[in-house]
Amino acid sequence: MKSLVLALSFALAAPAAWAAKVGQAAPDFTAPDVQGKPVKLSEQRGKFVVLEWTNPECPYVRRHYDSGNMQSLQKEMGGKDVVWLTVNSTREGHGEFKSPQEMAKWMSQQGAAPKATLIDKDSKVGKMYDARTTPHMYVIDPQGKLIYAGAIDDKRWASTEQTKTAKNHVRAALGEAMAGKPVSVAATSPYGCTVKY
Amino acid sequence: MRFLLLFLFSVSVAAAPVKTPQAEAELVAETTALVPGEPTTVALRLKAIPGWHTYWRNPGDSGEPTRIEWQLPAGFAAGDIEWPVPERIAVGPLMNFGYHGEVLLLTRVVAPRDVDLKPVVLKARAHWLVCEVQCIPESADLSVTLPVARTAAADPAWAPTIAATRARIPAAAPAGWRFDAREEEGGATLAITVPQGVALKDAFFLPFAEGKIEPAAQQTLTRKGSDYRLSLRAAAQPVGPLSSLDGILVHQDRAFQVNAPLSARFADLGLAVALAFAFAGGLLLNLMPCVLPVLSIKVLGFAQGHARLRDAWLYVAGVLVSFWLLAGLLVGLRALGQQLGWGFQLQSPIAVAVLAAFFLLLALNLSGVFELRLSMAGGSSGHFLSGVLAVVVASPCTAPFMGAALGYAVLESGWRAFAVFTALGLGMALPYAVLASAPAARRWLPRPGPWMPRLKQWLAVPLYATVLWLGWVLVQQVGSPAALHDDAWQPWSEQRIVELSGAGRPVFVDFTAAWCVTCQVNERVVLGRADMKDAFRQRNVALLRADWTKRDPKIARALAALGRSGVPVYVVYRPGQAPVVLPEILTRERVLAALDG
Repeated sequence: MKSLVLALSFALAAPAAWAAKVGQAAPDFTAPDVQGKPVKLSEQRGKFVVLEWTNPECPYVRRHYDSGNMQSLQKEMGGKDVVWLTVNSTREGHGEFKSPQEMAKWMSQQGAAPKATLIDKDSKVGKMYDARTTPHMYVIDPQGKLIYAGAIDDKRWASTEQTKTAKNHVRAALGEAMAGKPVSVAATSPYGCTVKY
Repeated sequence: MRFLLLFLFSVSVAAAPVKTPQAEAELVAETTALVPGEPTTVALRLKAIPGWHTYWRNPGDSGEPTRIEWQLPAGFAAGDIEWPVPERIAVGPLMNFGYHGEVLLLTRVVAPRDVDLKPVVLKARAHWLVCEVQCIPESADLSVTLPVARTAAADPAWAPTIAATRARIPAAAPAGWRFDAREEEGGATLAITVPQGVALKDAFFLPFAEGKIEPAAQQTLTRKGSDYRLSLRAAAQPVGPLSSLDGILVHQDRAFQVNAPLSARFADLGLAVALAFAFAGGLLLNLMPCVLPVLSIKVLGFAQGHARLRDAWLYVAGVLVSFWLLAGLLVGLRALGQQLGWGFQLQSPIAVAVLAAFFLLLALNLSGVFELRLSMAGGSSGHFLSGVLAVVVASPCTAPFMGAALGYAVLESGWRAFAVFTALGLGMALPYAVLASAPAARRWLPRPGPWMPRLKQWLAVPLYATVLWLGWVLVQQVGSPAALHDDAWQPWSEQRIVELSGAGRPVFVDFTAAWCVTCQVNERVVLGRADMKDAFRQRNVALLRADWTKRDPKIARALAALGRSGVPVYVVYRPGQAPVVLPEILTRERVLAALDG
């Protein structure tokens, strides 16, 4: 009965209302990576997971890649056994949509180092997480709980150079969580381009 | 040649607009010259090509507000951007707030008084994000050159456009409008009171802050009597607590500023609890130092007379009528838009002076300097007037439980407010009424005897103290309130809390006033003690004090946001956590528990 009510309320609620919430279980999803291999979030249980929403056409995303900021964070976290998943939720058919091949090529040109790059061509995962901007960052703890959602850093206005000196919220959240401390800044307003739903 | 140059410079010169493929930008001035010491409006004219848009101060789900970094000559000052009403721009399931095509963002620039009468270049670097489907961040160095003169005329080229833009900048709501906010499950309701004859249709609210109200959520406008309710959904992923609705209400071609603190606690408190708190607070008022001596004397005075139910009723009536008058005054003044709370009667130096004189009379009376016939009158009017007297002497005091109950009453208004004040009055009147009417209760009273005049003289002491204290309050109000401050404390402001919390420091806020006795007791017994100060220092706690001795609408609004209408209120803010409101009677342990817990 309870699940029926839940299902009904899910069906009636607007997308934003049932989105992932900090402090709650991160909703599970399966999405194909650029090689077409399905990646399932719940299979990463036991490790920290970072979700990074991206769109190569977005100047804010490019700022974080041109400065090397995103790649170095991906590598740093990869070294700490964090599962980094980069997600492109641009709807297939949108002018900025990138095929898996185009996406794979762009990521390798950037020297990006996520565990996987996911192609969310029906924007299902994006809407599930209520991703609004690119970049929009999420951190999930080894128990599967969402512990951070929001902007990558505190410098919305920064130039490419200044990006390096910004306070990175993802690094801070992971650092605190790995040290067994509560995440002090757990939600911020994301900034960037609109996710192309 | 020099003359020619001078001539050229005396004409206001706007550098040619900077053009990008998607936008053009320039600075334009409303007047033909700058006048020393006076403001003029300078606008950033930003024009996106057809189909493209730039952003409002809150860009919505994505985007970036346009920014202006002024580089002004020494002594010049520029205000914040004044933003005209934006459009709502839906992008799939998301929502942005911005401007298609051309927009003028206004800034007031003031020239220093002692500026030379020579042309001045006002420079600024503007940054904006221009989007259609794609987004392009752009910036430009802009300038406008203006002569400085004793007088200035409107620049016919730009003054009309700037005036038209100004008409689109949300103003404070005119008389008759009123906004109140209330927390609801999953969001908030904005209650909109409109002037007679105004009907709202398709009105909507745009928040200043990001991450508080869901930009794309449907806002439902419903009519309730002559007022309206606009339901707002909280952000799906809130970046902090929603403590007030700050933004603009857009209605057809008008828009008004909204600054409505959320009455959260009051929804939690509920009428039944508020009534119980008010009753308990009223009972305890009898024990407060301003009330106890006066009522003791009256009770002992009628100990030898006959117990009569009628006397009790008259006393109750005296108390209730007085409380209703106070409540009516408070609710009435608030309805007129005054930001007042409990204690408002003591924010006027005249009221304090009158009360001080009154307490002096009472004290002299108790000391036996003269007999105040009114208060000693035994007839029916005597009991009614005793009730009035009790409320008058109680008015500088707040008892425990009263704060939360009155906070509820003041925010709720209407019949609920009167119900709370009635419960307060009944609680206060109960002990006297019982003693006046029930013979059994009088057995507890001591027999009258020669000890009574002596007791009276002793009871005069707290009244003299009250006079001294009111005198001190008066000095604080008329003079500078410096005595309330020491080095450890900084003046309170909402901004300061945000800054300090942002820097990761815990913040302790003391809402206080010179006329608040409980505040002074807490200051002496807890906050001012060396061990408490050490504890604050060890924890690197920032101490902010909001001094409400004089009227201050900002403090009144902040109190309302906490569900209170009077002082003392103590709040502990810890980074990343909801603020904790401490009880009115402080102890060191409670403060520490809130800081460490």
